[in-house]
Formats: sequence, C-alpha cells, structure tokens
Amino acid sequence: MKITEAFERGEFVVTAEVGPPKGIHIEHVVEEAKTYLSGITAVNVTDNQSSVMRLGSLATCKVLKDEGLTPIFQLTCRDRNRIALQSDLLSAAMLGIENLLLLTGDHTRMGDHPQAKPVFDLDSVSLIHTVKQLESGVDLGGNELVGEPPKFAKGAVVSPCSDSVDAQLAKMERKVAAGCDYFQTQAVFEPEKFIKFMEKAKQFGKPVQVGVIIPKSVGMARFMNNNVAGVHVPDDMLEELKKDKEKTKAGITGVEIAARIIKECRPYCQGVHIMALGWEAKVPELLKQAGI
Amino acid sequence: MENYTKYKLKSREELASVLEGKDHLFIIACNKCFKEFDTTCEPDCGELEQIAAEQGKTVTGSVKVDFLCNKIQTEKKLAGLIPEGTENVLVASCGLGIQTVADLAGMPVFAASNSLNYRGHHGMALTKKSCDACAQCYLNVTGGICPIVDCSKSLVNGQCGGAKDGKCEVDSSKDCAWEKIYQRLEKQGRLEEFLHQPVQIRDYSKVNVKVIREYVQSVRENRLAGYYGGVHPCERKESTEHLPLVKFPDPKTVVIPLSMHAGAPANPVVQVGDTVKVGQKIGESAAFISSNIHSSVSGTVTAIENHGHATRGECLSVVIESDGKNTLHESVQPHKDIEELTPDEIVEIVREAGIVGMGGAGFPTSVKLKPPKPIDTVLLNGCECEPLLTADHRVLLEYADDVIYGLKAVIKTVNAEKGLIVIEDNKPDAIELLQAKTADCENIEVVVAKTKYPQGAEKMLIKRVMKRQVPSGGLPADVGCVVSNISTVKAISDAIRKGLPLIERVVTVTGERLVKPGNYIVKIGTNTKDLIDYCGGTTGEDITIKAGGPMMGFVLNDTNVPIMKGSNGIIAVDTDHTAEQPCIKCGRCVDVCPMELSPLYFAKYADEENWQGMKDKNVMDCVECRCCEYICSSKIPLVSKIKAGKTAVRGMK
Amino acid sequence: MLITQLKPKETIASLVEGKVFVINCHGCKEVSFPEKEAVELQKELEAQGKLTGVITTDYICNPENMKLRLESHKQEIDAADMILVLSCGVGVQTVAEYFEDKKVCAACDTYPLPGFQGVTPLEYDCDQCGECYLNITGGICPITACSKSLVNGQCGGAKNGKCEVDSNMECGWERIYRRLAQLGRLDVLKCPTQIRNYATEEKTEA
Repeated sequence: MKITEAFERGEFVVTAEVGPPKGIHIEHVVEEAKTYLSGITAVNVTDNQSSVMRLGSLATCKVLKDEGLTPIFQLTCRDRNRIALQSDLLSAAMLGIENLLLLTGDHTRMGDHPQAKPVFDLDSVSLIHTVKQLESGVDLGGNELVGEPPKFAKGAVVSPCSDSVDAQLAKMERKVAAGCDYFQTQAVFEPEKFIKFMEKAKQFGKPVQVGVIIPKSVGMARFMNNNVAGVHVPDDMLEELKKDKEKTKAGITGVEIAARIIKECRPYCQGVHIMALGWEAKVPELLKQAGI
Repeated sequence: MENYTKYKLKSREELASVLEGKDHLFIIACNKCFKEFDTTCEPDCGELEQIAAEQGKTVTGSVKVDFLCNKIQTEKKLAGLIPEGTENVLVASCGLGIQTVADLAGMPVFAASNSLNYRGHHGMALTKKSCDACAQCYLNVTGGICPIVDCSKSLVNGQCGGAKDGKCEVDSSKDCAWEKIYQRLEKQGRLEEFLHQPVQIRDYSKVNVKVIREYVQSVRENRLAGYYGGVHPCERKESTEHLPLVKFPDPKTVVIPLSMHAGAPANPVVQVGDTVKVGQKIGESAAFISSNIHSSVSGTVTAIENHGHATRGECLSVVIESDGKNTLHESVQPHKDIEELTPDEIVEIVREAGIVGMGGAGFPTSVKLKPPKPIDTVLLNGCECEPLLTADHRVLLEYADDVIYGLKAVIKTVNAEKGLIVIEDNKPDAIELLQAKTADCENIEVVVAKTKYPQGAEKMLIKRVMKRQVPSGGLPADVGCVVSNISTVKAISDAIRKGLPLIERVVTVTGERLVKPGNYIVKIGTNTKDLIDYCGGTTGEDITIKAGGPMMGFVLNDTNVPIMKGSNGIIAVDTDHTAEQPCIKCGRCVDVCPMELSPLYFAKYADEENWQGMKDKNVMDCVECRCCEYICSSKIPLVSKIKAGKTAVRGMK
Repeated sequence: MLITQLKPKETIASLVEGKVFVINCHGCKEVSFPEKEAVELQKELEAQGKLTGVITTDYICNPENMKLRLESHKQEIDAADMILVLSCGVGVQTVAEYFEDKKVCAACDTYPLPGFQGVTPLEYDCDQCGECYLNITGGICPITACSKSLVNGQCGGAKNGKCEVDSNMECGWERIYRRLAQLGRLDVLKCPTQIRNYATEEKTEA
C-alpha cells in the first residue's frame, strides 16, 4: 500500500523506523517490528544510517513486506551514483515496495568508513526528480523503460527546528517542485517552532508527518543538542528528564514527553513519524498516550 | 603550445535566460591567465556587449581586468569603475573571477562563462603530464606513470579487462595506462616488486578541503603580511650566522675603485708614486651625488688605471702596494661627541668620511642626512632579508653599541622624534641584545618583523613598520622617514668616534659551494679572489659566484674584482641551467611584486621595444628586488628586461 | 599549483634501494614544500652513505629546463640506483619520463589545490566543474562551499549554521541563501532541479 493513500483518506498517519543490523541476522528486528509496529501505517528502513555500514535497506524492506508490514525504503545519495540509485529503485518496484524516503545522506566522513569516497552524484532534489522521471517511463539518461513504469509514494525530509529554517523551506519548495508527495520531519522537541514552520509549509499542500524521538535520558538529550543538526531539547524538558531518574530510565518520562509533543503538533500536521532508536517496544504505549 | 583556455562562453540560449528581465549591465572580462598573451577561445567584452545588444539590453560600461581572481588588486581596480545606474554585472572569467566580483560588487553578478574542467593540469609549466593531487601518490608503484589520471577508471591495482589493442575502452585514441605501466616496470625489472605490492585501497578522506583551506590561508597571510607581495626564499643562513667576525689578513695590494657609490665617480687626488696612509683621502667627491674615497692601507700608489669592477665592468681605480704597517693618516682623529656636534657638523663628518649606503645601493649618506622634508622617524634596516648573508647580523651582535651610537647621530642630524631598529624574527639573539641595549633610550625602539623578502627595501620597510606608502617616484622623506643600513650607521659611529673614514666593511663569504664560509672584516679594495681562496676556495665545477646575495647579487664572471663599500657578501652557489621560455601568464610575478606592478608586461614590452608601454606600466617604480624573476616558472630574465626598459625610458625625457 | 607533503619515513625508507639521487622542487614553495623535512631526509641519506647528489631547484615540471639541469648532474645521477623526487606528481612524472630506465620515486604526496588556477587567491573557490552554477547561487560556488557539493539546496546536516563535516566551516547553502536574500534574488531557487554533468572533461578535450 502506498502511504499517500492513507493521507488521502484523511488519516493521521503513523510511521516508525527500524535500522538494519551490522550483520546478516535480522530475526530480532523482524520480531520487534511485527510485535510493536504492526498496528501502524508503515515502517521506514534506514539506509546505512549515519554513514555506518549495515545490512541493506532494500533487502530488509523485502523481509518486512513478506511479514505483512508496509515498508518505506529509505534511499540516500551518499553511496550510489545515478546508475545504482535507479537500478535499486527498479528493484524496489519489482519487489512490490511502493514507499520511498529520498535523502541526501550524511557525509562519509561522519561514519565508520571515513576513507570512503562520498558519491553525492545526485542529491535529494535530483533524486526525487529522477524517481518522477522513472515513473514517466524514462530514465535519467533519457532512455525508455521496458514495460509498465514503476509507481511510488515519494517522501522526503525537512528540518523544521533548524536554525536555518528559511533555507530549509526553500529546499522543501524545491522538493515539492521536483515531485515529492509527502514529508517526514527531523525530530521535534519544540512544538511551537514546528507550528510556526507548518504555517509556512502548508502552502505547499503536501502532507507532513512530525518527527518524534522518545528521549531516553538527559545524556541522550544533551548529546542531541550538541551533535544532531536541527534538534534542540529545551531546558524544561531536560529538567523533567532529570527529576525522577528511575522513571526516566524506565522510559515513562520519555514516553510522556513524546506523547505531549504529538498531541500539541497533531492539529497542524498529517501524521507522526516515530524514531524509536531501539525502544520499539514503547511505541504502542506512546500512541496510546498520544490518543492515536 | 597547448591551448590553456580556462573557460568558455555559456550557450546563447543559456545567456538569454540568464539575462531575462535584467538590464543595465556592466560587463567585466578577465584578461586571462595561464596562456600566452594572445587570446583564442575565451570570450571578451566585445562579444558580450554584442550579445547584450542583441537582447536589447543597455550596457553601462565594460572593462578588462588582469587576473580578476587577485582580490586585492581587483578591488582597487574596480573601485569607482561601475557607473551609477548599473543594476547587474556580467562576468566572463573562470569561477574564481566571478566569485571575486560577486563578493565585491554589492549587486547581482552573473557568470557568462563556464570554467573548463582542467583538473590534473596544475603544473606551472605547460606540460602534458597530469596529476590529480590524490594525496596518496601511487607513482612509486607504477614506475612514474600516474594511474589516477592516465587510467580512465583511476584503477590502482592493475589493468581492467577493457583494453583493446592497448587502447582504453573509454577512448580508443588513448593508451591503456596500465599497459604503459606494465611495460615501464618490465623495462626496469620491477615487475616482481609490483606483484608483491599489498592491495591498494584509495583513502578519499585524505583530500581534506578543510586542511587545504586553512593551509592556503596561512600561506597567503604570510605572503601578504605587512605589505603586498614578496617571497620566502630558503634562508640558508645557518652556516655563517653563528660565526664571529674574523679580520681578513691585510692584503698586499688593494685596488680601490673611484666609483663605489651612486652618482659621479670621485676624482683621484693622489698620483702614482705617492705614499699614502690608512684613512688618507685618495679620491675627492666630484658632485653633489658622489663620494670621497680613502686608502684602506698605508703604502705606495703604484697605478691609477681601469680595473675590473663587480657591477660596472671596468672602473678607474687606485692601486696601492701596502707597506704592511697600517700607519694611520694624521687626519684620522676623533671628533667631539654627538651631544656637542651640530647637525651640519655631523653631515660634514659623514660626507668627509665617504660614507655611502652599505646595503648595496651606495647612495651618499650625507645627502640622505639633509632630507628636503621634515622627518619624524629614522628606520634602521636590520632585516638582512637576503638569503645566505649574515654580515649585518654579526655587526648587530658584535658592534651593537656603535650601531646605536650611529643611529643616535642620524636621529639628531635629521631632527627625528624616534629611531626604530627593525630586525627580522630569524635573528632572535640580535633582537634580544638590541632590546637590552636600547632599554634606556627613550626614542629608540626595536621592531621585530616577520621574515619576508624584500623587507629591507626602503619602501617595503616603511610600509611594514610605519604603514606609510612612499608615493610613486618619491623618497622616504616624502613620508617623514629616513632609512639607513646597519653597517652604514656603524661606519657613522666610527667616523665620529674614531675619525675613521669608510675603509673596511663586514663581508659574508658563503654558499654551498664554498669550502669554509665565514663573516670577515675586509679592507675596501681587497681582491675577491683572494678572499675566496682564503675561505678554502670552492668545490666542484659549474658554480656561480655572486657579489651580494642570491636575490640581488651580481654574477661575477671574473673574481679579480675588489671588495667595495657595498659588498655585503660573496657567495658561491650551484649554477642553474635554464633557458628562457615563453610567458605562460601564470600571474605569479604580479602576485609577488611588492611594488604592485605587473612584471609580465615588462617582458612582453621589452621584447617589442615598446618603451612607452613600459613607462605606462610604471617600470620606473621597480626596485629590482628580483622577486618576479625568482618566482617566474618560465625563467624569463625579467630584471635585465626591466633595466633595459628603465634606460630607454630615461632616454625618452 | 599544489600542496606537497612528505610521505611517512617508513614509506620512504622502504623505497630506498642502494644509492639515491635527490631532486627537490621549490617552484611552488610559496604554496608548499616540506623544506625542513627534506633537509633532514637528505642528511640521513648522506649519513648512511647513500646519497650521490642533490638538485634543489624549481619548476621541475618544465621539461625543457629540467633537461638542461639534469644533464649537468649526469655523473651523480649515473652513480645512483634510483632517483627520489620531492615534488608534486607532475614533477615526478617529468623526471620519470626523462629517465625511462631508472627507478624514479615520489617522496611526497600531492594534495589538490583546485581553484588556484590563476594567481593564488585567498580561498579555495572554484573546482573547475565545467558547468558554472554561480548564477543560481548569488555568486557563491556550491561545489566548493558545500562539503557535499549539493546543487539544489541545503542538506539537513547544518548545525548552528555550520557544516556537519567541519564545525568551523559555514554551511555553504546558508551563505548562498543569505546572499540571495540580500540581493532580493530568492526567486532563483525556483529554478528547475539541477543535475550535475560529470562528463565535462570530454568537453574540455573537445
């Protein structure tokens, strides 16, 4: 199923993401996804997240699909040139994977193979353009595809709490112009910023899912503040996490915070994307508290 | 000659869309680089004006600028040039020039051209060779053939299966690089070595733009520190900078030229057969710009004749046979202390003692001490920026008190407020000593300058220390300064305190081809060859002897010439065998010229005998520091061409 | 024009076989040459009795002048088993071409200095990509100013306006955005999706 259909039905669309392991044993990931994420609309599978080499996104998507879940194939421009990217897109379509999240990708310097050649032959905008072109039955080189062209729900990301939100909006506009169908955002901890962002973003008329991370500890929150672009956990939230260590450790505080954020943002957007980062088991409780 | 076109005009369609809705254009074209003066494919102002006209646009003006990417000069050149009413700027150049203008213009700037992809062609000379600067040179594995550039796939572990008849699968006119590598290694018997190489995996993180950016910035700051241009040749001072001064044994014969200074040669006042004493005047200053000459030995005048001269070819000289006694002449008597002397008396002492600038130029110091304008600062040039030379350095260390005394005399004479002793940071011992010695002097200060050639040139020194610009054709006095050399003020001190005229000086004898380098106190008129022989002579053949340092020194084809007042060094170095090649217009001479001239035009105009062109490009401002020649990759003898131009321009008047 | 850096000592030691003749190129020294390290290396070789001679010169990439210079050192070079060249890759290849039968080794690694094709400017500004983007970026090059050379806008990696790869480097696309806003030209961001053409080298050769 295409995620866009859910948006069209007016649903508040819930997605979450899983990261493939560094190795070939995927059973645990599948098990968790099946147990905790089967109730939601779709599951993102990350593509060598943070430039750390892992099992492939496409293969993991196929496994999840076979288990009855709806996968979203994340595809970055860091590791493949336009030939490999288009080839993987065709492979995805052939395997019945219909949802895409198209990203530029972190720089190779950020991950566990800093010596690797950063490709960036295409970027997120030109990748969306490329998918659109494939959908029209022609590849980027202008050659016709044989038979029925693929059809995808084309997603992209945007960073609403970035300190350069204007530049982000400009890029978002370019993504829409290139053919993007929906957006997932970077994790939001400041709903008021997100709401302000949505006031401007709604002109593009594309559904937006607010990104949510369940904060696991003060340390994690601080780390994100220092190292993760476009993420800022405000002081009062840090205090809240600090207050009752046991409660925080058990994930109760984190879930409360995340649920609150979802509730606050919900009137302004079309769905939520949960980055559980290993706490997939808490997703059902989070959704319950958020009233979804 | 290969075509080194750097950029090409964008297509007319693209330009039309770029210009859509934009009017009132100002057009700038870079006057090209990395090629000879004729321009072939690169677009020009005219071409753009025509395109603009076709589109019905108003052009507010156009200009061609040399080396648009030279931000410092471009900023000056563009100042006030873009007329009122201009709304957009259209630039034809490589990406560097366009960005330079975009940073400066304060209005929309558009690129009319695309830089061509020339990676791998970054050698200075126009060669076919290529290097992609991969930061992990593979040439050792491949017999000196670059696999990154020469192999279309940049393979580093051997040939792919795509070569057909020894040609590349991507380009059938191109030899397969790995086939060439194989043949080269086989020829050198190095196949085994190749087979045992570990698997090569490229490390792309080595090309780190951040490191490059920071490095280049630091290098540029170094280059531009204090004043525009200049260079940093290897200093090579370590072989003599720690060697104390040694008195060169008295020569049996001295040959004292009657011209060791700027201006008219002195008139001889002795005759053959005369007996002379040390310090006795033997030549009388012949004009306002001239100088007295004195005997450096006691003995008999044996000849007054033309003799070989380091810079003038031949010169009338007084030959004196020494009696070995060094009897002082009666006129050598200490004067009153400077406190008691009037400025005019000091000038007279200096004039009488035959003191001239001892840094090489030989301008009469007495003239310098009567500046036409009020002076606030005396700059004492202790930079000694010439590589190899250490004479001034040793004088500073061993005659610090005399140097300070001489400086005080100059300060008093020109009625300056203060004196600054400028020493480059490569002489920490001299800095420390002079700082200690001048601690009590209220009006004398030691200024430490970061090493850069030609810092010792008057105009550069003033700019660096005083941040004042001597006007074109002007003198230091125009900006309230007098500049003097270390040995010169020491000589002034000797003239006042001992009554001794200028009859000896410190000479650094050095160079990688000299056996026993050192710093010597040498009598004026001593034979250069004797001095070299005393230092153990030279090693090997094919050497070059120069009077002075490697930058500004004069080549001595014959060492049978006397040491003179301005002889700060004698060096013996390797001969560099080169031939003049065509200018590739790399622009480096423009980048290093401290007078901010464009030396490449001097090369072009001198060959065309276009003396008016030379004059228009301000050839007369050239200080002949030789930075341009030093940096020139085509080995063009720029200074000779400049000298020819100066001579011709002087003749035009 | 380029930056050279001496290879690690162990690497150079492993290259040296028998007697060595050394060639130093100072031509681009004003840009970079590992001067001290080179002198040290030569002293070591000399102490080991392995050095037959040295040329310290400039612009060895100029084959005509190099020929003259090498000829005048022929004996010392003949006495050597190999030639160690301290220069950029262009220089090493110039020498290697001249001595086809001799082992010629590079003692340096060469770092790129793209954007320095004219007189040495202050910044790394142009990558000679062959398809100038400056018109849609307010005159700031996205190829060199952005770590990922993105041509359609900012990635999500900038934090506090700085690049994810280098926190001292300003995000190129933020600079571009600011410049365009300043010039009142934000409209150009509505241009069609840009896709780079990596085949511009052919254009150059053509």
